[in-house]
Amino acid sequence: MAEICCGVVSENEASSACESNSKATRRKRMDLRRVNFVPTIEKENGVKQARLSISPASFSRDCNNNCNTTELKPKLKRKPDDEGDEIEVDGAKPVPLVAAIFRPSGSAVFVDGEKVPKFGVASVCGRRRDMEDAVAIHPSFLTVENDRTSGVHYFGVYDGHGCSHVATRCKDRLHLLVKEELNKKLELTTEWAKTMERSFNRMDKEVVDWNKGTVGGNCRCELQAPESDAVGSTAVVAITTPDKIIVANCGDSRAVLCRNGKAVPLSSDHKPDRPDELNRIQAAGGRVIYWEGARVLGVLAMSRAIGDNYLKPYVICEPEVTITDRAGDDECLIIASDGLWDVVSNDTACGVARMCLKGKGPPASMKTPVENNEEPGSEKWDKACSDASMLLTKLALARRSSDNVSVVVIDLRKK
Amino acid sequence: MANHQHSLSCYQNWMSQQRLDLEELLQGLTNFPTDPDYLRLLVKKNISHFEDYHAARAQLAKLNGPSFFAPAWGTTFENSSLWIGGCRPSLIIRLVYVLCGSHQTEHLAEFFEGVSRGDLGDISGAQLKSIDALHAKIVKDEDKLTSIFASLQERIADEPLALLAYKCRNVGESSQREVVDRAMDGHALDMYKILMEADRLRLDILKRMIDILTPLQAVEFLAASKKLQLSLHEWSKSRDVQMGITQLLSTNNPSSSGGAP
Repeated sequence: MAEICCGVVSENEASSACESNSKATRRKRMDLRRVNFVPTIEKENGVKQARLSISPASFSRDCNNNCNTTELKPKLKRKPDDEGDEIEVDGAKPVPLVAAIFRPSGSAVFVDGEKVPKFGVASVCGRRRDMEDAVAIHPSFLTVENDRTSGVHYFGVYDGHGCSHVATRCKDRLHLLVKEELNKKLELTTEWAKTMERSFNRMDKEVVDWNKGTVGGNCRCELQAPESDAVGSTAVVAITTPDKIIVANCGDSRAVLCRNGKAVPLSSDHKPDRPDELNRIQAAGGRVIYWEGARVLGVLAMSRAIGDNYLKPYVICEPEVTITDRAGDDECLIIASDGLWDVVSNDTACGVARMCLKGKGPPASMKTPVENNEEPGSEKWDKACSDASMLLTKLALARRSSDNVSVVVIDLRKK
Repeated sequence: MANHQHSLSCYQNWMSQQRLDLEELLQGLTNFPTDPDYLRLLVKKNISHFEDYHAARAQLAKLNGPSFFAPAWGTTFENSSLWIGGCRPSLIIRLVYVLCGSHQTEHLAEFFEGVSRGDLGDISGAQLKSIDALHAKIVKDEDKLTSIFASLQERIADEPLALLAYKCRNVGESSQREVVDRAMDGHALDMYKILMEADRLRLDILKRMIDILTPLQAVEFLAASKKLQLSLHEWSKSRDVQMGITQLLSTNNPSSSGGAP
């Protein structure tokens, strides 16, 4: 049983529970499903949820046809023929946004100039039936012609709960909000914390407003308003500049820096039983109830998140921001959802990533049927980082992670 | 009754076939792990046995579709986990993940030394990506069929059966026998059709998974899945016996085996 409990932790952490005092039965059903350890028990009418889509700007696959996604991103215009790798932003000259976050892995880069980050991504559904994680990667995500902003890269991991649509919206929008906020400033280096706070706040507001807008909508995720109030997402965003790493975190995803062989966490998980968070929740009049782990009002197993309007003001969207000076012995940055961190320690993760970066990854000779003729753009990937993210994902699955697993590994070594 | 006997021996033949196949797969793994052509041949043979079984079952199901949804030859444990008359396709994903995981934990140290075993623990990045994509497809297809199946089941409580029952003076009276039979035949035919759909999906998913895996991994995977199915049957049979459910004792003797039907 202890074992099973271990396996279950991640699902529990992802959210919610089965409290009896509030909200609709639908949400209750959803909550039950999430703490359900045996996924082969089919829930009623096979609840469908969205999955990570391929294109950076589009909504997730299953919600795509039904959710009203256009109203909130009027500035995005997809070019007709591309595969989602490029987006025209606001009529300006096409900014190469990379991004294409393939499921589960991918890391393509075609940014002009030399300041190309090396990174790898893996994101899999794992033992869940629903994919609620989303990953956004935007190298050189600020306006290109502006010199001061070159070499500034954006990496975000969002772990949704309730449904995937908040995570997907974060993936589509949060980097744009951060960019807008940054463009309001003269000096990039000042007030990172304020900028990130404002961006997260706007993101949260968009999500909540958008949920309101879906009243009577036909989104298939069966979490139409008012239940869609019970949908949210973690967000951990890392922005790397030539000399700094800025991490803004909200929820229980995590960014860990691997520096000289040591794991240095750059974010601190927002758990309801973290003493300061517990105090904050109680001061706001909320309660933390232990129901398969500490949960805000016995429901949500994290104390901060984007969305989750029904748990405000106890659950807030304000991120904690850390600013770290980059050092010569920085090796890599790992950003991942709790699907990884629940079963792999910071130190182990760093150890694995380090090994891969040092070139001890899977031997190139090991060809598999799908590898030979797929991924024509694979030379653009960073093999070592991809291997690292993939291996960490596999390790999480091997250790019986019961959640979606998303891992981004960014090489920070000076070339 | 005759049909039931046929169905039973079809099942028994299939189980015996699987025992033989398992034997062969395991020998292949031990004796020819570096001979991809041989391993590929093994996989092909296995798949064709699957197809044979499905074909035989299709013939029988045409006559009595519903009998395959909680078959008398299945143990209570097995029947409780059936999905439209067979295994749930998404089990494949779990099985691959757990095998990959058990290998990886065993051999993590070796991995760092660059040792490649080429087994299921060596699932590559590209493979993992394909498996995850397949997972998405499976869930979608499964949910689609589940939903159709649900509608089918709901139809029981609708025209014409529900009203025929309601209008009966005595429970189960046979004055309307013909109408009832016609309705139930129609329903059984629908069950047969969805069983065929589900079998098609099961086979299709299996083939897709095998395409993703290397020959060695595929053989390993097939062996593991057969071992699981056969073991579960034996284990759950003895549990049934313990609980006083003895219907399977009579079907215990696989003497009618001798190749796939």
